[in-house]
Amino acid sequence: MVNVLKGVLVECDPAMKQLLLHLDETNEFGRKFVIQDLDETHLFISADIVETLQDRIDDLMDRLSFPLAEK
Amino acid sequence: MAALPTRRLECKDLHGYLKSLPTSVLDKLYNHPATCLAVFRDLPELARHYVMRLLFVEQPVAQAVVNQWISPGAEEASQVTSALSSLRVWHTQPLTGTMSGWILNPVFRENMKTALLGGGQPWAGGAPMTADKHARDIPFLDKYALERWECVLHFMVGSSEGSDGVNRDITDVLVNSGLMAKEEGEALPSITQEGFQFLLMDTASQVWYFLLQYLDTVQSRGLDLVSCLAFLFQLSFSTLGKDYSTEGMSESQLRFLQHLREFGLVYQRKRKSQRYYPTRLAINIASGLKSTSTDAHRPGFILVETNYHSPLQVALLALFCDLLYRFPNMLVANITRDSIRAALARGITAEQILNYLRSHAHPDMLHKTPVIPPTITDQVRLWELERARITFTDGVLYNQFLSQADFEMLRNYAKEMDVLVWELPEKRVMVVTKEGHDDVKRFWKRQRQT
Repeated sequence: MVNVLKGVLVECDPAMKQLLLHLDETNEFGRKFVIQDLDETHLFISADIVETLQDRIDDLMDRLSFPLAEK
Repeated sequence: MAALPTRRLECKDLHGYLKSLPTSVLDKLYNHPATCLAVFRDLPELARHYVMRLLFVEQPVAQAVVNQWISPGAEEASQVTSALSSLRVWHTQPLTGTMSGWILNPVFRENMKTALLGGGQPWAGGAPMTADKHARDIPFLDKYALERWECVLHFMVGSSEGSDGVNRDITDVLVNSGLMAKEEGEALPSITQEGFQFLLMDTASQVWYFLLQYLDTVQSRGLDLVSCLAFLFQLSFSTLGKDYSTEGMSESQLRFLQHLREFGLVYQRKRKSQRYYPTRLAINIASGLKSTSTDAHRPGFILVETNYHSPLQVALLALFCDLLYRFPNMLVANITRDSIRAALARGITAEQILNYLRSHAHPDMLHKTPVIPPTITDQVRLWELERARITFTDGVLYNQFLSQADFEMLRNYAKEMDVLVWELPEKRVMVVTKEGHDDVKRFWKRQRQT
């Protein structure tokens, strides 16, 4: 027998993967989205979360940077 | 592989375009020497070598013989063979026994000979003419062509300057190709993600891409694709600064000429004028992406902080810079993380931005090596990488295989079909692309039945 799941394969660095797992565990988006934890750098997640996820990561990145340019 | 929600603008070269044409159109195209020569020039070197050796051989040549013309194990041999076949320049013909041979497409052969050796029908516009009393020189034609072309670009960025010269035909092509989109309730279309990427290409690539999109719509305008293409190829072999006659052109070609005139590919003083001048945009068009002649003739204008003030250039820079000050002859803008990210979000790549800066650098900047300070190039690339910390790939996951053999069989099949995205044999997990899923599923069902 073989089991078939539709979704999105995520490839990222281990730190990013931990962050994604954390977002999943704490129900950050109101629901679970990780379908399967594959290995150090790969996750399989539901397709409909990708956009929300990308926005959130962008947000986090923004908070990590400091604009230096003079206005 | 990343399934980011941005679409990359794909620009086919001549070869890619011709391959996408139906075979019947391709066969008709070779009825003209100019087309054959253009196709010949676009072929890889090895393929040209084959064609030259076969040109005067009127019978099929055994494939084994052809293979001996190159050093054994040459990697590009199979690519070249398939390139020639897909363009229908040659085809196989059985010889005695199990051997098969290559023979050139007879129509291609005849017209290629004509192109090289002369003879045949005179090319369109080649008829002798009296001197033009309104003769135009090359600088005039260059200026004219760029003005026309920039009208199109102005229209795309929505700047009012010169956009009155853009007519329905151009708008239609822009909308059809997805470079611009019409919002409901708005009179004029607005630019799309693809449109922004289009703006950052060099002029030659822009013209080529635009023409490809235009040619796709040619038939729906009631024009004959074959005669338009044949004319375009002839045009690409014409001489800059020389005038050509419209005599002997078909109705289709005359209407096509009017469209080319609107895009700035030819200059014609009046609509009814009996002569036209091809501009730099049209010449060598067939070499597609490979030539950048138009840009090479324009001095660059970007100091690392630019100093240009045409609304078009300003609008382009505003795509990836924060504009600070604007003086009559100079503009100050910051390249910041935010500005670059805004551009990235529109689907523009770091490479496109850097290329644009490099190719339009002010002459004073060009003395430096590298032209753009490495800190800037590195930082822009880093900002792009930051976004790419995660890649998303749509796919279908297969797991819970009962045996390693089952897993390997299905994985090998997916690999063969080139739809395997990722695998982890230890856990018997694999991911295939969405498109490949149906195929793999069918294969699995078939295997289980046997």
